[in-house]
Amino acid sequence: MRGLKYQMKSVLRDKFCLMTFLLPILVAVALHFMGSIDMSSLGELHFGVLENDLSPQTVTWLERYGPVTAYGTQEELTAAINEPSTNVIGVGADSDSLKTAISGDELDIFRQAAATLPSLYEQREAAGQAEIQTLERPDIMESLQGIFIPAVLIVAMFMGCTFNAMNIISEKEDGVAFVNEILPQTPSQYILQKVVVGFLFGSLSSVVTACICFRLSLQNFGLMLALIVLSSFVAALIGLFIGKFSEGLMIGVVYIKIVMLLFLAVPLVCALIGVSGPLAAVCNIIPSQPAFEGIMALSAGSMGTAMKDTGILAIHCIVWFALYVLISTRRKKQAV
Amino acid sequence: MGKGFCALFKKDCRMLASGKFFLMAIGFLALYTAYVNLGYIRFMQMAPYNVYLYDPAETQASKSALVQAVPSIEAMDTALLADANGVGLDASAGDVRVVLYPGAEHIDQHRADYALSLLQPSVSLSPEVLGTNTPEQKARKEITCELLFFELAAVGFLGIAAVLFKEKGMGVIRVHAILPLRKDLFLLSKLAVFLLSDLGFAVLLTLLNTGLADGTAVLPAVLFQTAILSLMMALVGLLCALLLKDFRQFTLAYLVIAIFAATPVFLSANTSVKFDWINWHPFYHVYMGLKNAYFGTAISPVYYAGAVGTIMLLFLAVRLAFHREIGKEG
Repeated sequence: MRGLKYQMKSVLRDKFCLMTFLLPILVAVALHFMGSIDMSSLGELHFGVLENDLSPQTVTWLERYGPVTAYGTQEELTAAINEPSTNVIGVGADSDSLKTAISGDELDIFRQAAATLPSLYEQREAAGQAEIQTLERPDIMESLQGIFIPAVLIVAMFMGCTFNAMNIISEKEDGVAFVNEILPQTPSQYILQKVVVGFLFGSLSSVVTACICFRLSLQNFGLMLALIVLSSFVAALIGLFIGKFSEGLMIGVVYIKIVMLLFLAVPLVCALIGVSGPLAAVCNIIPSQPAFEGIMALSAGSMGTAMKDTGILAIHCIVWFALYVLISTRRKKQAV
Repeated sequence: MGKGFCALFKKDCRMLASGKFFLMAIGFLALYTAYVNLGYIRFMQMAPYNVYLYDPAETQASKSALVQAVPSIEAMDTALLADANGVGLDASAGDVRVVLYPGAEHIDQHRADYALSLLQPSVSLSPEVLGTNTPEQKARKEITCELLFFELAAVGFLGIAAVLFKEKGMGVIRVHAILPLRKDLFLLSKLAVFLLSDLGFAVLLTLLNTGLADGTAVLPAVLFQTAILSLMMALVGLLCALLLKDFRQFTLAYLVIAIFAATPVFLSANTSVKFDWINWHPFYHVYMGLKNAYFGTAISPVYYAGAVGTIMLLFLAVRLAFHREIGKEG
């Protein structure tokens, strides 16, 4: 217990550590309030026209499909069409029809839209009369944000790993690691002390992040808490591994980056592509995958999957912990 | 002077090599190249909307070849569920009815009208092509530009700072205070090493990912922009190393730069999401310089003047900080 007090003291003195834990909370707040950024214009059609070239009726007709920008000269219009970041389609009058111009580097969907625009114009009278039936389905944008938030949560849980790794590496560099080896304490005591600090702060920052991002019922909150606690514990353990295996700060940073990338990429790719079957089971080797899946399942309201993922995470905790104790006792024996 | 510079330059190169800086750069080069050639190019495809027609009485004789006929209304539902961007046309009740999953309002309108237009006979005029790039060339140039910027501004920057903090920790900076060399040589040799390694990286990345012919055509302009960015980042890295206490403090500064500085730039420069304030973002202009170089667009002289001014200012600031650091010793 006393050792833990010293650990806490060293953490609280380190402003940098405290700020790393605050970072995911900041991002969560930003995400919460920046939900207003309008991403829906991404797939929209944009039209560029020459001033006074098209009749006002035609421009109004074009505006049904997407924003229309008027340019003063042909050069400006050409530059706007060629601008690589947008997909502007140039539209000009061609006797009583339209002609279109594109840059040639657009995706097929925009190219096809440009090619068919003149015939859409010719049939504009008939098109307005058809009946349109829209089917219901969940909003795409919401599901995108639903992926963002678990990703931030995973980063928050991951902070315990970063913190522990940094802590151990800097102890190594300062020579405190040698002092630790001769202290009268068992390896598991040492491990617990080290894990607890990263774990406490990691779960604290995840809980705050979760509270900002989710509105959960009490029962769901219990499961979410279990998920957070378990995955923060695994992350803190992995931090110990990184600390053990990296010799210098620089190498440690590279390891942390690689692990972080893996932690984020595996669940994101799985969620976006929709991996299933044996491959999905293999992905569970990365501890962030069950955590991510569990959070997604909780926000969708399916308790069964969340329970299963909590179980997988618990197994992760036990296996990683046993592995670490095994390695460190073996090393200690070798050293003696 | 020349001899002193050579000695410093050699020492810096050795230090980078022993700090695995070059190894890391090569590793990232391999990673980026694999990502572009195996992943990105395949993901960046978006076919036109599929149109499904249920027409049991065969009333639509003049439909285009792009329309896919489905045997029943259930088959249409399944097809639409799997392909939510697709549009269904139901001609079983005489008048054609459009069935679709809603997205953005304008796009829905276009999807519906597009699907209906495919039922009418019409000559599809191919649009006039004004640009010179194919979609693949554009995708390659765009992603190469992003990766190069990311590497120089984020990964390389981290490496620079790591090396400098190591020197600072070992006391090398203070040793320079008593060396019989001009003080600026220390800064210049650092800049030269990082500049050369960044230029080498830019050449390899560009040639490997945009193709030999396209790559060589844009290379001179790209190298020029790389030099500007590399000098700026090396100077900022030096400044951080001189002002901040240790590497851990730096990692935080770095995180802030990576997240809050780079994300809006990428969003604004590559998509049609435009922020009003983006013109005040210094990284935006540097990124656009690099991007314009890749796409062969003209760059305004104001930008060059600004870049040269920024580099001079940064250099002066670094020089000041360096002399202060040396002064602590004396």
